[in-house]
Amino acid sequence: MAPGPVGATNVSVGIANLPNQRHKIVSRKGTNFTVMVVGESGLGKTTFINTLFTTLMREYKRPEHRFNKQMDRTVAIDVVRADIEEKGFNVRLTVIDTPGFGDYANNQDCWVPVIKFIDDQHQLVMNHETLPNRKIDDLRVHVCLYFIQPTGHTLKPLDIEVMKQLSSRVNLIPVIAKADTITPAEMLAFKERIRDCISTHDIQVYSPAVHSDDEETTRRNTSTLAAMPFSIISSENDVVVNGQNVRGRQYIWGVAEVENENHCDFKKLRNLLIRTHMHDLISTTHDSHYEAYRVSKLTAEGRTDNDPAISARRNFEAKMKEEEGALRKRFAEQVKVEENRFRQWEQKLISERDRLNEDLDKQHTLVKQLEEELEEIIAARKR
Amino acid sequence: MKLKPGSSGSGKSTFVNTLCESPVILRKDHLDAEKAAAPKTVNITPTTIGLLPEMDEDGLKLSLTVVDTPGFGDNINNEPAFTDILEYIEHQYEEILSQESRIKRNPRFQDNRVHVLLYFVQPTGHGLREMDIEFMRTLGPRVNVIPVISKADSMTPQELNAFKKKVMEDISHYKIPIYDFPYDEDEDDEETIEENTELRGLLPFSVIGSEDEIVLNGRRVRCRQYPWGIVEVDNSKHCDFSKLRYMLLSSHLHDVKDITHEVLYESWRTEKLSKEGHHDDDEEEVVIDG
Repeated sequence: MAPGPVGATNVSVGIANLPNQRHKIVSRKGTNFTVMVVGESGLGKTTFINTLFTTLMREYKRPEHRFNKQMDRTVAIDVVRADIEEKGFNVRLTVIDTPGFGDYANNQDCWVPVIKFIDDQHQLVMNHETLPNRKIDDLRVHVCLYFIQPTGHTLKPLDIEVMKQLSSRVNLIPVIAKADTITPAEMLAFKERIRDCISTHDIQVYSPAVHSDDEETTRRNTSTLAAMPFSIISSENDVVVNGQNVRGRQYIWGVAEVENENHCDFKKLRNLLIRTHMHDLISTTHDSHYEAYRVSKLTAEGRTDNDPAISARRNFEAKMKEEEGALRKRFAEQVKVEENRFRQWEQKLISERDRLNEDLDKQHTLVKQLEEELEEIIAARKR
Repeated sequence: MKLKPGSSGSGKSTFVNTLCESPVILRKDHLDAEKAAAPKTVNITPTTIGLLPEMDEDGLKLSLTVVDTPGFGDNINNEPAFTDILEYIEHQYEEILSQESRIKRNPRFQDNRVHVLLYFVQPTGHGLREMDIEFMRTLGPRVNVIPVISKADSMTPQELNAFKKKVMEDISHYKIPIYDFPYDEDEDDEETIEENTELRGLLPFSVIGSEDEIVLNGRRVRCRQYPWGIVEVDNSKHCDFSKLRYMLLSSHLHDVKDITHEVLYESWRTEKLSKEGHHDDDEEEVVIDG
């Protein structure tokens, strides 16, 4: 379809009102946001989730229960849902936790259940697309936060392997957990080494688009990008600092504040996840990761590009024609054979008839002869 | 002689350098980004430091050998690392055994047995991990294991107490043999009993290491500087480093050596020799393995 004539309207027709309509629709419908947290236990994933949305989303593991589960060596997938509302706007939030990840002596393949879960969600949506009723519970993961242990050295082999697998399937944001273990100088070096590692091993982490029309936004985006991977400190408790109530961790030697930008990047991460890039995360999940999954699945089944429907039909038709030609030929041959058979039979019958006719004639002549003889004899008797 | 396993980045090298007050263990190239993904074998490297005579009792010179284990716990599959370390320890015992059995013993033979194994536990707050449990259980019968909580400045005082409690519960639940400052109620004097009970109550020791010094209130202090405060290594309110140091290098030095020689080595020896077919009982026939 060729594009029509392009031009600006010189009278306000109302096209500029489109974003407002979008806004109304979205605020009425609310949105669906799925976050997955991956990392070894004890890195503060549960606390982070509870701090991020300032609601108690996950209960802590009960200490008595650890004796039951420990020797299982499995990685579970826990799904927690909540409906969060702020100023009349709803978010159906889903948090996916991965208890047991990386906790064992032998962690080979511990990422397989996680990857499988992500792929399964894409597959579910793909399957449902062709059904008449397309409304399903969309659990596709919009962002995956990978918690890095604050060793201060560099990434571990497990981190690298898992991040590689995750980054091709989902928006991956690595975070440095328990950042209050690392001094500022150490943190800079650590982040540098992690970034090095990430680029050496070609891991595609989520990076928000930097440029925008608004200069303020561009500046903010640049500083956010420079701070990645984000260092975070989480706390569910409030502490009094200088007469104010702040979220923080109270040590003997001071208070590490969660929302203080000098202490950690929690605020930057929260802004990225919720305030500025939530929609981007959701749309890239659908537009790039889901599409990539779809393409890989379909090419694996043997379908190719270039207007697949039509070329498929074309192939189909050609095949049909071929088959038809072959059938026709066979049919003609068979007909010929049958005709021959019939002809021969006919000949046989004709010759049979002729023979029989001849016989009949002979019999007739014989009968005539006998009749004549009989008449002669009768005539002779009468004299 | 000390051996220290624990995952990379848990602060082992810093701890050693803090303990010896000098940079004994240097950072190697395990920080290289390219090599980060490759599985590493555990690199068991002993380093001997002769300590100053003022450090210990009786004015004796102490030769401290520290065995670091960079690469332990880093890989995706860490089970092979356990056997590497166990073999190292048993190898030292074997050397002693073969020395003992010689007709002419070598007077200059160096006793390289490991007296103490400091296991660095990650401060997760959730108790011991499967790897910790398996490892300590495997090595406890061969060496004095002392669990140590590294990077203790990541936990608030309440969290630290709760964590210590959980770790000790795990240790008793899984029956992990550790060196828990044993004392004899009848034989030892009250002071010893008190000291040991106190140290036992501090287990596992929380440790913070630092090689940096600053001047605080006029004195030089080893510490870690955060934007929200300064953590002092030698301050016993901040961590148990000083108590651990005192215990390792002075008060319990002989105790761990005695236990290594009299209990652990002997039990290993018994097991090893009975496996080879020697029996102590003279009435039984001696079974010689072919």
